[in-house]
Amino acid sequence: MLLDQFNFHYISGWTAVASWRWIANDENCGICRMPFDGCCPDCKLPGDDCPLVWGQCSHCFHIHCIVKWLNSQQVHQLCPMCRQEWKFKE
Amino acid sequence: MSTPARRRLMRDFKRLQEDPPAGVSGAPTDNNIMVWNAVIFGPHDTPFEDGTFKLTIEFTEEYPNKPPTVRFVSKMFHPNVYADGSICLDILQNRWSPTYDVSAILTSIQSLLHDPNPNSPANNEAAQLYRENRREYEKKVAAIVQESWNDDEDDDDEEEGEKS
Ligand SMILES: [Zn+2]
Ligand SMILES: [Zn+2]
Ligand SMILES: [Zn+2]
Repeated sequence: MLLDQFNFHYISGWTAVASWRWIANDENCGICRMPFDGCCPDCKLPGDDCPLVWGQCSHCFHIHCIVKWLNSQQVHQLCPMCRQEWKFKE
Repeated sequence: MSTPARRRLMRDFKRLQEDPPAGVSGAPTDNNIMVWNAVIFGPHDTPFEDGTFKLTIEFTEEYPNKPPTVRFVSKMFHPNVYADGSICLDILQNRWSPTYDVSAILTSIQSLLHDPNPNSPANNEAAQLYRENRREYEKKVAAIVQESWNDDEDDDDEEEGEKS
């Protein structure tokens, strides 16, 4: 309930956040905030094997970032962006 | 030393500086990026208006997969804030998402000042007054708003030496 209020203020009131969502969706990984054309902060070089993965909800993250998040979740494994159950897109 | 958590916090700080949300500010402490000081200005049209409330935010190396610990340092009177300053807010506990950053945390606490949730009280007196006696609630809040200014005036107790 609080979260919904939060989103409401967030989206309707402050442009700062609209731009945050946009950046998070399109150019940067929403978890580590590094650009999608680079690698996650656990990998040293862009040449390291650090691919992007998509969920069935169509949200995209570095594979290392989303796997770390899912491993830290004991009960439900939810997409950090939309809170739907995370399923890797085939 | 640069770890993923520290690098993420550097990005949070950069974003907070380049794109500061209205009514909040925050920065890492001088010698430790894992501990931040922040200020939330009481939102307009609430009893908290004009208050300047200080907070500390402590991160672990598991950030952003685990939320930080956020506490009011300034005295607070609010249905969802415990006596020790810690905050009962779902997105800092079971509804945390690793896509949140410091801006998101501070603006969500600011909106909690706007819209208390009396259903999960951390301060029973505040929750009860909020529901049943709004005037008394606002009086108590006004008192901590005043106290929040005094925090800034630690150095104004010099003696005037007027005893002649
Ligand atoms: Zn990432
Ligand atoms: Zn990686
Ligand atoms: Zn999603």
